[in-house]
Amino acid sequence: MQTKAVFDLTQKSELCRGELIFEGGEIRAVIDGETVFCRNLDGVEELVQRTYVGCGMLELVTEKENSQMAGSIPVCRFSMSCVNEIGEFCKVVNHYIKTGEETEISREDFRVCQKCGRHFIKGMDVCLFCVEKSYLFRRTVGMLKSYMPSLALAGILLTLATASTALLPVLNAKLVDDYFNNPAVTGDAAVKGVLTIVVLIGLTQVLGQVLKIFSQRRTNKVSSAMSNELRIMMYDKVQRLSLSSMSKKTAGDLMKRVTRDTEVVKRFVTEQGMYAVEQLIMFTAILIILISISPLLTFLVFVPVPAVILAIRGFWKFIHLRYEKQWRCDSRSNSVLHDIVRGIRVVKTFGSEEREIKKFDALCRRLAEISKSNEQLWARVFPFLSFFMGIGEFFVLYFGGRMVLEGTISLGELLEFTLFLAYIYQPLRWVSTLPRRLGEVATSLIKIYEILDEKQISEDAENSVPAKLNGDIVFDNVRFGYKAYEPVLKDVSFTVKQGEMIGLVGHSGAGKSTLINLIMRLYDVDEGSITIGGENIKNMSQSEYREKIGVVFQETFLFAGTVYDNIAYARSNAEAGEVIAAAKAANAHEFIMKLPDGYNTVVGEDGHNLSGGERQRISIARAVLRNPEILILDEATSALDPETESAIQEALARLVKGRTTFAIAHRLATLRNANRLIVIEKGRIAESGTHRELLMQDGIYAKLVMAQRQTAKLTNKQI
Amino acid sequence: MNINNANTISPETLRTEYVSPENCVFSKNENGFLAAEIKGKEYKRVILTRSLPLNFPSDYICISDIEKNELGIVEHMADFPSEQQALMNEELDQRYYCPVITKIEGIKEKMGHFYFDVMIGDFKKSFAVRDISKSIRQHGKAIDLIDIDGNRFRILDFEAIPSKSRRKLEPYLY
Repeated sequence: MQTKAVFDLTQKSELCRGELIFEGGEIRAVIDGETVFCRNLDGVEELVQRTYVGCGMLELVTEKENSQMAGSIPVCRFSMSCVNEIGEFCKVVNHYIKTGEETEISREDFRVCQKCGRHFIKGMDVCLFCVEKSYLFRRTVGMLKSYMPSLALAGILLTLATASTALLPVLNAKLVDDYFNNPAVTGDAAVKGVLTIVVLIGLTQVLGQVLKIFSQRRTNKVSSAMSNELRIMMYDKVQRLSLSSMSKKTAGDLMKRVTRDTEVVKRFVTEQGMYAVEQLIMFTAILIILISISPLLTFLVFVPVPAVILAIRGFWKFIHLRYEKQWRCDSRSNSVLHDIVRGIRVVKTFGSEEREIKKFDALCRRLAEISKSNEQLWARVFPFLSFFMGIGEFFVLYFGGRMVLEGTISLGELLEFTLFLAYIYQPLRWVSTLPRRLGEVATSLIKIYEILDEKQISEDAENSVPAKLNGDIVFDNVRFGYKAYEPVLKDVSFTVKQGEMIGLVGHSGAGKSTLINLIMRLYDVDEGSITIGGENIKNMSQSEYREKIGVVFQETFLFAGTVYDNIAYARSNAEAGEVIAAAKAANAHEFIMKLPDGYNTVVGEDGHNLSGGERQRISIARAVLRNPEILILDEATSALDPETESAIQEALARLVKGRTTFAIAHRLATLRNANRLIVIEKGRIAESGTHRELLMQDGIYAKLVMAQRQTAKLTNKQI
Repeated sequence: MNINNANTISPETLRTEYVSPENCVFSKNENGFLAAEIKGKEYKRVILTRSLPLNFPSDYICISDIEKNELGIVEHMADFPSEQQALMNEELDQRYYCPVITKIEGIKEKMGHFYFDVMIGDFKKSFAVRDISKSIRQHGKAIDLIDIDGNRFRILDFEAIPSKSRRKLEPYLY
């Protein structure tokens, strides 16, 4: 089997077209057909990808010589465009080094557009550069299928409304030709006739407006239902996304997609969609009427139109860039203002008010300048464009007037013609602004479809088995990284007996929380396996699995609601007695009873403020109520004062009893109840044993303990 | 940013471990990586990192071992002999890749993402930028762009590139 990956930099930082080839236990790097590196993997410990700034390097780490990585051999260099592909290449080679098995390279993370050769944006199934807007609209029309009968009815109502409104010029023409400009009809007959037509005009206009109201109501109903459905679909999908997918987007971004983007689509359907139908019907109907009155005059009306539309589009392209500049300057000044207001305490503490005022003042002045210049340009150019758009009217007046004088058409018909002109220019002006509106909705649609199309990474296996967590937990050669090219955990192997409490120790960023995330199956391992009672956790039903795991985090998030709701969040069908018992076990009952409404006290963002210790006890109560088989304590007491901590430690000791527990704590004293401690250093297990054994080893743990003792001594002295 | 300030704080106060040509000598190991002897101790492989890559690319260079433990700081590269500077520059060139854009052929917005077609010398390069206002950084006359993959591109002097290129990028520089 041959595995290939591309690289694009020479050792001298020149761009090149290079290829990495792994075949038969040998790695080759080839640039333009010439082999620049070739080595078999004998004596090689690992293939390492190092990422730097805008580039990276692939290195072979040889056995025995890897002290300080001096024995590393450079293989090739690459820009960040190749980083994912080379990361996957590394996985294949490293798997071979460990097992002797050859595997295929996974190309999921680095798909390239067949048409333009550009990389797909992460998480996207289509190349945004090549995707046609029509694809998005076809897909949206497909989603609208169930609303089609309602939309068709709205369209019919709108057509009738438009037809009623469009009768105005016809009736006006009749008024002029039959009564005002007809000497044959005089006296009462003329007055009666005029009155009849005026009443008809009034009736048609009222009917038109009434039909429009009904059509609008139906359209609003459809667009609201559709945007609601889209929101629910989006929200449902967001809830089901894996944590790794979620972490690629900010909370604000996701919220914008669920709320703003669906609103943009709704607005487009309501305003532009129906407006398009109205304008299209109006345009076609009036065009037919105009041609029937005078084909020559109709031709004259349209003579300047193509040139003016092209001019408007060109002008739009030009002004669009100027408005983009204004928008960015505005956005910049807003963000500076936001920054200053948020950091006002720091600004005042450092006495830098004047500096900040000057900074904001300069930005505001710049914004005002750009804005003024744009408005002036718009005010200068747009009236001319509008004038040229309507220049056909002058032709109509001149040639139409001549035709009236010659008797080819009547005065009424000319009046009808000129009145219809106002109707026909309206859709033409609208068409010229359509690209901008389409662009806006296309952007929102692609963001919506991006979420809807996102794959749920940690999906249940096809034949998933019920989750039984009552057995030993075995980590077997686990390797994992949030990015393919940056492993956070490497070759992690250990066994935890059922009911054991394991303390995870190590410096910040060593990989402790990542290990916990893997136990919770928020992510799947890249290599190796995690088994419980001999069963791989990948094969277990996820919802069942997580139901049996309890977690107490450092920061406890309380949802807006009552204390009771927040504890019962762990088990919604819990009885009141169980909730109170859980709170008692968590040493939370006492403070809850001091709250004005006891368990019914509203907490969360707009509710009663609870202290860190109180929140933490609610979190423990949640875990108690859950009655988990595996318990995870992630820095559960680190943010608390010693007195509160001891109350919580007592509650935790009650909770931990008899359960397999993983606890992370920087304050090592809090791990005194642990059966065993595992020290993680740079993604690997560095030490393992009891507190006493690790102290005897005089390694990382012993140093951490000494450092904390010294800090404690210093603090005590200062006090 | 000013390198010499009247209120300069002494390295002793800040405990900065500056190295000098007297106590720090760079060389290459057998595989071509940078090695160093710092204050009498030999390091078979060291890496260099710029503290202020945009403002002072040749000053305040941090020396560390492969595990990223800091070994010292070169305050000014210019204080070192030329062959030592060459070794340091070679290592820095390997760690920082930021090709220079000489011309912007086009910037197209597609569904909220921006697609650039640029010339890097004679080489045509296309790249995409997700959030254009966050992906462009101006420092002095230079402009840095970061694409969706994490590649960096630099315009050394915005005023010196062709006016057509300038007009294309200018609206996004606020």
